[in-house]
Amino acid sequence: MLKKLAVFILLLVLFSFKLQAPLADYKVSTGTIAFKSDASLELIKAQSNELKGIFIAEKKQFAFIVIIKSFKGFNSPLQQEHFNENYLESNKYPSASFEGKIIEDIDLSADGTYAIRAKGNLSIHGVVQERIIKADITVKNGNISIKSNFTVLLADHNIPIPKVVHEKLASEIKVEIKADLVKK
Amino acid sequence: MLLNKIFYTSLFFSVTCCSAVAQDTTDIMRLLENEVADRTDYTTATFKTTRLVNGHTVENVGKGALDVKISHRFGKVNGGGYELFGLDNASMRMGFEYGITNTLMAGVGRSTFQKTYDAFFKLKVLRQSKGNRNMPVTLSYVPTIALKTLKFEDETRKNYFTSRLFFTHQLIIGRKFSEGTSLQLMPTYTHRNLVQLASDPNDLLAIGIGGRQKISKRVSLNFEYYYQLPDYKMLNTTNSLSVGFDIETGGHVFQLHFTNSQAMSERGFVTETTGEWSKGDIFFGFNISRVFTIGKKH
Repeated sequence: MLKKLAVFILLLVLFSFKLQAPLADYKVSTGTIAFKSDASLELIKAQSNELKGIFIAEKKQFAFIVIIKSFKGFNSPLQQEHFNENYLESNKYPSASFEGKIIEDIDLSADGTYAIRAKGNLSIHGVVQERIIKADITVKNGNISIKSNFTVLLADHNIPIPKVVHEKLASEIKVEIKADLVKK
Repeated sequence: MLLNKIFYTSLFFSVTCCSAVAQDTTDIMRLLENEVADRTDYTTATFKTTRLVNGHTVENVGKGALDVKISHRFGKVNGGGYELFGLDNASMRMGFEYGITNTLMAGVGRSTFQKTYDAFFKLKVLRQSKGNRNMPVTLSYVPTIALKTLKFEDETRKNYFTSRLFFTHQLIIGRKFSEGTSLQLMPTYTHRNLVQLASDPNDLLAIGIGGRQKISKRVSLNFEYYYQLPDYKMLNTTNSLSVGFDIETGGHVFQLHFTNSQAMSERGFVTETTGEWSKGDIFFGFNISRVFTIGKKH
């Protein structure tokens, strides 16, 4: 009885070893993420070309990450400093990420554009929100490119807007993502 | 017995492996974090502005930014009610500081105190960073020249223009220890072309220490102390000690402070301070810093 159990567990061990360590088969080669705060008194735009990401086709699983300090294009150096120091607190929360799974099935062997929904955890400023984000995926010659527009509410991620900048900072931030992924 | 061992080892492995499977999403994040690990993270906002109280911090204004500084030092607090505790008298400095690159800035200023013009460069030689490049401190070099245009005390003797000039060289070694705590050391060398007494040295040395502690996101408590080396100081001068607050509101930084120095340029507050805290020779003052962006986007 014990022997059987041991063999069973041994098999389980071997089996679970096989499950372990997912292999990322797609990787972001060039990725940009841009955001826009369109408030009545000020338009703030910034972008990062350091968006990284991986995609495991078999599991429809993905993860994207961007280092907060890599955002550039602010209206002034001081604004960039305040963005890091006071709002995103990038020393405490150095990155923002989105990881989860694609809801739809897509055929990566056929070229074409697919409108998909990605469901996962969006982490900004250390606050995780479960989100379903729409994106367009284009498959061409086995490579993937992704485009997505979505909005982020500052309040959702515990980023307060001080009264003095109420008219200079939008409560809803528009985000645009573009990424090319190549097979590893 | 052996079977038992296998059983427990297997159990242990299966538990750890299963937990690894359960942490699938964490694994994918870990893979990803390796992707972004390859970069250097430069420390920013060690201090809120380029001045601590009177003296420089390791901070520069960004490239293409113009920092306009208006500073006041009122009279001595021990002037009593008649002088409204010093508020009846004020000396003032106007300063314009511009970021040529992100590591080099230049500034000019004019103080009403002794009708002094000053000009300086500030160069960041080292920047505190971690990641690919690990650097524990930020190091800045600040050479300053001051021109005192007050009428010569004795106009009957032969006076030289060069007697009006003062040169200060400062190294500032600063480190942001945590989000709220930053400290810096400021070895300072001053050369005076003209001294008052024959016994006064022309070359003066001091070492400064300063720091800040954030009280909230936008308010910090600052202190600054310059210790003059005994053999390289002028007679009857004291060491400059200042404490103050930084209050930041968007593009402005308001600094309110108490100091025993009335001058606002280096050779003044480092080498010519005569006030003593213990006697109430304290000056209340403020700096207002407003940053304008002139250059391109950042």
